[in-house]
Amino acid sequence: MAEAEKTAAAPAKKHRGLPYEKRKQLYGYGFISVWMIGTLMFFLIPLVKSFWYSFNEVSIGDGKTLTDWVGLAKFDYILNADPYYTAILKDTLIETAWKTPLILIFSLFIAVILNQKFHGRTLARAIFFLPVIIATGPVYKIISGDMNSTGNTGAAQFSTMFSTDLVGELLQFLGIYGISDNMSTVISTVADNIFGIVWSSGIQILLFLGALQNIPPSAKEAAQIEGATAWEFFWKITLPYVSPFILANLIFTVIDSFTSPTNKVMERILAMKEEWKFGEASAMAWVYFLIVLAAIGLVTLIVNKFIYYEVE
Amino acid sequence: MTDTTGAVVKSESEIGGGLTPRQAKKLRMQSMTAEERGYIRRKAVMDKIFPFFRFVILFGLGFVILYPLIYMVSCTFRERADMNDPTVMWIPRHFTLNVLKETLTAMDFWNTLRTTLILNIGCSFVQVLSCSVTGYGFARFKFRFKGLLFGIVIMMILVPPQVIGLPLYTQFRSFGIRGLFTVNLIDTMWTMYLPAITANGIRSGLMILIFRQFFRGLPKELEDAAYIDGCGPLKTFIRVMIPNAGSAFLTVFLFSVVWYWNDYYFGSTFFVNTSTLARMLTNLDTELKIRLFKSATVEIAPREQIVWKEAGCLLSITPILVLYVCLQKHFTEGIARSGITGI
Repeated sequence: MAEAEKTAAAPAKKHRGLPYEKRKQLYGYGFISVWMIGTLMFFLIPLVKSFWYSFNEVSIGDGKTLTDWVGLAKFDYILNADPYYTAILKDTLIETAWKTPLILIFSLFIAVILNQKFHGRTLARAIFFLPVIIATGPVYKIISGDMNSTGNTGAAQFSTMFSTDLVGELLQFLGIYGISDNMSTVISTVADNIFGIVWSSGIQILLFLGALQNIPPSAKEAAQIEGATAWEFFWKITLPYVSPFILANLIFTVIDSFTSPTNKVMERILAMKEEWKFGEASAMAWVYFLIVLAAIGLVTLIVNKFIYYEVE
Repeated sequence: MTDTTGAVVKSESEIGGGLTPRQAKKLRMQSMTAEERGYIRRKAVMDKIFPFFRFVILFGLGFVILYPLIYMVSCTFRERADMNDPTVMWIPRHFTLNVLKETLTAMDFWNTLRTTLILNIGCSFVQVLSCSVTGYGFARFKFRFKGLLFGIVIMMILVPPQVIGLPLYTQFRSFGIRGLFTVNLIDTMWTMYLPAITANGIRSGLMILIFRQFFRGLPKELEDAAYIDGCGPLKTFIRVMIPNAGSAFLTVFLFSVVWYWNDYYFGSTFFVNTSTLARMLTNLDTELKIRLFKSATVEIAPREQIVWKEAGCLLSITPILVLYVCLQKHFTEGIARSGITGI
């Protein structure tokens, strides 16, 4: 690293006559030069290659990678002939689509609670951030109970406590019969997936908590003097202040789902790689990525209009 | 009942001078309008009830998080026969350390742990250094194509590892300059170290972004003072910025360790015989059969396998859990205070 710095610094030293701004520009390149080399080698070239692979029949010779142009045949294969891909892709996309908003709402809710002052707050925070260190790894896959269909290890047993019966009975107890089936399906899906939602909102809670701590005390005081209730305070003060983070968290949640150990598309791609079908695997990854990218772009465009930025 | 209390209040107010705080409050309440009284009463009720609700919510959800961990401990110390005993839920009927010992052997735990630690700590360390240098470059210098280059950083965050994993594999298989020299780096630690050294390791895009935000948040006067005193940019970075960025460095380092620890995708793409804990845990089925039962075809009932799996989970999260418990503050407050909050 130091060497790269020197190479950038050397010409700057020679040209003492160079204007200050020019010299600073060279230093700037010096600081990012290591990253530029790395990105070219380990990001940009692989990215282009992967795109190239998805149009080719790829075979590995001795120390060489051979490609043979086949046009759109690979895409045709994965979308029309592969027995699992389209089904897995559809499931994964739908799951991301409904889980992401739930994760956001849930993590904002928990962040608001954890931002209050109460006894045992440090312990509560420690517990709620615990998934941050576990949920990105294979341990999560085992404890969420779907590894090689070993039956229900932990999650399923617990989620029965929350599941349909309880919610349904509670609703009946409250005298709510008229609620449509749709609504009760939504409630029971949330209840059944409470495990997955709680376990995937660690970092989101962290970011929201950081945002909540940045709300200026003057805003709180003003609201208190005006006699705002907690409910009004949430909608008129809290939400506008954290709104930029809703977008950031949304993007983070989606890219986190790419690398989630329970992501089925990723499993399928790994399986294809095991069979040395590099062309198909690349095509799968690109289709998945482009769909999600388009969705993120669309959501960003829409959400951006409702975001309140304090510094205009 | 109401009569007597009313009488007491009356007599007290007649006395006037020696009011207890409680009665003073009552008098104040009487002088308010109905609306104000309603507000205060509602607030008082909410203040009483809300902590209770908060406790119930936090306790229930906290249990959802801790449940698997408790279950792990419970499974690790029971005999496999207890899995088929419906009366055993939390407390094992037959306490045993055998499962733990068997899992230690099956995972080849100490060797695997050493490999994982060397890989994790080394990679995280160089990655934090390279990402901080890059982040500083993006935060404080103006140069041509900066917008475009930063766009690439954002791309690094967005592009899933599955997209670039395969070309990286072929690239590492014959690494070097075509026609001059090529080496096969697959199954060596270079496949992890090289990207980490050049700020392209696991989630390095995010780390560059965090460092950029952090350095942008530091006051510019710090550097100006150093420049006036005759420091070059590199010296300024090392002597002035790094000492101020201690907590940010630690936080990013910790997250880096966690992400490398949990990585399964790159590990299983690049490694064949090099075992990290994450790979070992995923292949525990096969390892169990080969190392413990000495035959690849032996059938173990899925429910009974759970004891070894949960023991494996416990073993592979214990080191990182210890790290988390010791440095909890840096995990949680670091990221909120220093880094990404300035989006």
